[in-house]
Amino acid sequence: MAVRREKAERLADEELMPLVGRKDPEAFEVLYDRHGGAAYSLAYRIVGDRAAAEEVTQEAFISVWRSGARFDAARGSVRSWLLSVVRNRAIDFLRSKAGKAPKLDFDDESALEQRPAAERTEDEALRRETAGEVRGAIGKLPGEQAKVIDLAYFGGFSHSEIAEMLQLPMGTVKGRMRLGLEKIRGELAEGLA
Amino acid sequence: MNGNDHIRWSEDLAAYMLGALEQREAGEFERHLESCERCQGEMRWFDPAVQTLSESVERQEPPPGLRAALMAEVRADVRPAPAKSRRWRLRPAMAFAAAALLVAVVVGYEIGTSDSGSKGGSTVLSTQEHGIRVKMVREGDGGTLHLANLHQLPPDKVLEAWVRREGTVEAVPALLVPDRKGQAETTIADMSGVDTVMVTEEPQGGSETPTGEAIVTMTVPL
Repeated sequence: MAVRREKAERLADEELMPLVGRKDPEAFEVLYDRHGGAAYSLAYRIVGDRAAAEEVTQEAFISVWRSGARFDAARGSVRSWLLSVVRNRAIDFLRSKAGKAPKLDFDDESALEQRPAAERTEDEALRRETAGEVRGAIGKLPGEQAKVIDLAYFGGFSHSEIAEMLQLPMGTVKGRMRLGLEKIRGELAEGLA
Repeated sequence: MNGNDHIRWSEDLAAYMLGALEQREAGEFERHLESCERCQGEMRWFDPAVQTLSESVERQEPPPGLRAALMAEVRADVRPAPAKSRRWRLRPAMAFAAAALLVAVVVGYEIGTSDSGSKGGSTVLSTQEHGIRVKMVREGDGGTLHLANLHQLPPDKVLEAWVRREGTVEAVPALLVPDRKGQAETTIADMSGVDTVMVTEEPQGGSETPTGEAIVTMTVPL
């Protein structure tokens, strides 16, 4: 039997997940109300389009609804798991979009979107940066570290694609990713001190 | 595990956590990770930094229809599948009861037009019965049914909305669950041909046909 909404609201995320696994709509609804905003925001940040972000968020939550029992509390919080599901869906969306056959009457903008990820060029890096998307935690990083983290995490590019895009050795790209994460982590630790 | 081996993989750790390793590389790294406590420790240390990336994005308000659409799909999953079709004809006795309810319970409604700023504006129908405030907002082909001043339901009950279209009663997929303020809403995707909207109290999970007493009945001008 499904729990009542009031009871579900009093439960921690980790307590809601077994109920979601047993197909309890009220538990799932509470989960969405807690994290739907963050999930949609992340999807929008990655796909850059409201309709697509809505589709990605809905698909991600439905996959959670149908596979809720797969959540493993030992590997992190429900929220981080949920957001990783959303990120993966959003990156898949970008990749499938990039994999479409180009139109015959394409212009530069649509052609850029339709090229496979590996063929997208530095224009993509520039677009993401100049669109003011490098912000928040990574906004404080040195530009070269922020750029590789942004392209990897929010753009879904592999380190080799980024290396090709920015014409850098792969080792340099991986090094900048690590330095960037170290700096963010260091700032978090200082904030807690 | 020697130190050099760890250093080699350590270079890949940040890329792995950012999802930037190729699939084959990620698989190799995961195999190494299983036996490398230093990498496991570093991953735990880096994890909050990666989570911060997700949380640092500019907050966007999800479209209002997303929640309703999502919950409609979820509730459709738990609703028992109808034997043949989601549409059915009311049995004579049920039809009579529904008709009687329509005549007896409809208190009236006000019709107003508001400019919602969207294409074509929206039409608002409102009424009140049994102390429950009812508002039906029609936009385009669909609509949203809002209920307020609802009593809390027993744990084994839900509210279910129904529409009557050309004499056939259909269940609205998303069940209504009052929140703490006694408010609930559900989306009706297709209002074309609907002349009546009704809400009944039903067992948890909803019913295929109305079984409970109608607490709300609203006629809708075609």
